[in-house]
Amino acid sequence: MEPTAPTWAEFVSAFPIFREAILCGIAAGAVLGMLGVQVVLRRTIFVSAVLSQVAGLGVAAAIFAGMIFDVELEPMIGAVSLCLAATGILALRPERVRLSREAMLAAVWVFAGGAALIIGSRITAEAHDIEAILFGSAVLVRPIDLSLVVAVGCFCVIAQFFLGRGWLFSGFDHDVARVHGLPAKMLDVTLWLCVAGMVSVATRALGALPVFAMTALPGMAALMLVPGMRGVVPVAMLLGALAGGLGYVAAYFESWPVGASQTVVAAIFVALSVPVRLLRAA
Amino acid sequence: MAEPLLRCEKLEVGYGGRPVLPPISLEIRPGEFWAVIGRNGSGKSTWFKTILGMLPIVGGQLHRSHGLQMGYVPQRSAFDEIYPLTGCEVVAQALDRGWSFIRPRSLHRHDEVHHAVELVGAEAFADRPFRSLSEGQKQRILLARLVVAKAQVAFLDEPTAAMDPVAEEEALAQVDRIRQEQGTAVLVVSHNLNVARHHAHRAIYLDKEQVAVGTPDEIFSLPVFQTRYAEALD
Repeated sequence: MEPTAPTWAEFVSAFPIFREAILCGIAAGAVLGMLGVQVVLRRTIFVSAVLSQVAGLGVAAAIFAGMIFDVELEPMIGAVSLCLAATGILALRPERVRLSREAMLAAVWVFAGGAALIIGSRITAEAHDIEAILFGSAVLVRPIDLSLVVAVGCFCVIAQFFLGRGWLFSGFDHDVARVHGLPAKMLDVTLWLCVAGMVSVATRALGALPVFAMTALPGMAALMLVPGMRGVVPVAMLLGALAGGLGYVAAYFESWPVGASQTVVAAIFVALSVPVRLLRAA
Repeated sequence: MAEPLLRCEKLEVGYGGRPVLPPISLEIRPGEFWAVIGRNGSGKSTWFKTILGMLPIVGGQLHRSHGLQMGYVPQRSAFDEIYPLTGCEVVAQALDRGWSFIRPRSLHRHDEVHHAVELVGAEAFADRPFRSLSEGQKQRILLARLVVAKAQVAFLDEPTAAMDPVAEEEALAQVDRIRQEQGTAVLVVSHNLNVARHHAHRAIYLDKEQVAVGTPDEIFSLPVFQTRYAEALD
């Protein structure tokens, strides 16, 4: 007998089971979408890809270290620590070692990916969890993960409120911002700390792939949909939240992996934004 | 004679503690128009960036008058056109100094933006996206930003590059107008010697081997200048 598709009634009655996961997707999507606007404008989309990969490595490394030393090590600590370390490496001036920024990103990304796979192969009992972290199939999210996403997300929203204009000035015209006495370096550091912090807590909860997607795609879509700069951030937050929430709902009804579903929903927003942008340009 | 806004005393500029130019000594006073002349790679931008505080001083001394407000128009390649800012939004960036960006802007400050836009004749296109403007229009927007910044000394790094001769002359006339109306000292890097010939009161010639300061005619008569710029002078 063919299994029947779930109904809305079943979804509503089962909602308490995955409430945290949906709320986490919505909250992470909104905040990552907000930060993604700056990431896209600064042409540093792959920084978020690298950070989400590094966060995955951090989670795997924490689980592995817990097994080796027979202690309970919170994977979030591994994710946050390695993300901050990677942010520090990426903040170095690559030209000092005659490299481009892209080359440094590639080096960190492949190292993190390779190391995560090696560590994953050593912890076969947790292999499914590692896969979930890297590709995002977080069906259930722990309340602590949701709390961390909301707490770090609130910090990022406050930072955006107070520093957003400075981030924009410093990103658009770094030299003139410095001449005007803006703390350009501090602004850059706070932006990347926000991205690193949010990516690491969201990766633990949702997985690396949807976190990268929600950092890059809602910002891209909002920049195409909104004619000027005003309104871009709220629209990116809305699209990010929708990708996080609708992606989960679509995964429930279609039995898709959650992370992949959230990624595809965010990608659909970009695909829909392209003709809008082209029509406006015409 | 007005007090100098900026004074370089045997100022050495460069990278990693190594000077790229001989020591420079000069004084910049309100309302002066300076032409900064030198071949590609001669250290013009390095000198600018050192005075503006973006690069550390290698040697000598640099004195800025107390509370000096400086303005800067970087080379056109410095702007990333992915940003969907309008001309007015670019001008309004000049309202931010230091940490002021953490406070909401008061409405009356927007009047300053519109006044500056009118002053440079950019009303017709100031609400359009900056990236969609012509080079001449962009330059007017950046001049309006200088006006809003209330810069006492303005540094313009090749502001008329990529402009046709008519647009270039219009842009320089705007710069001169701002200089006269606001008493701003203006320093312009340009490869067009007519900028020095027709607009500047003072000129500085920068070369790896020699630095010279004087009136444009004095600079043009230097043997080293005549050797380097023989074809241009012909």
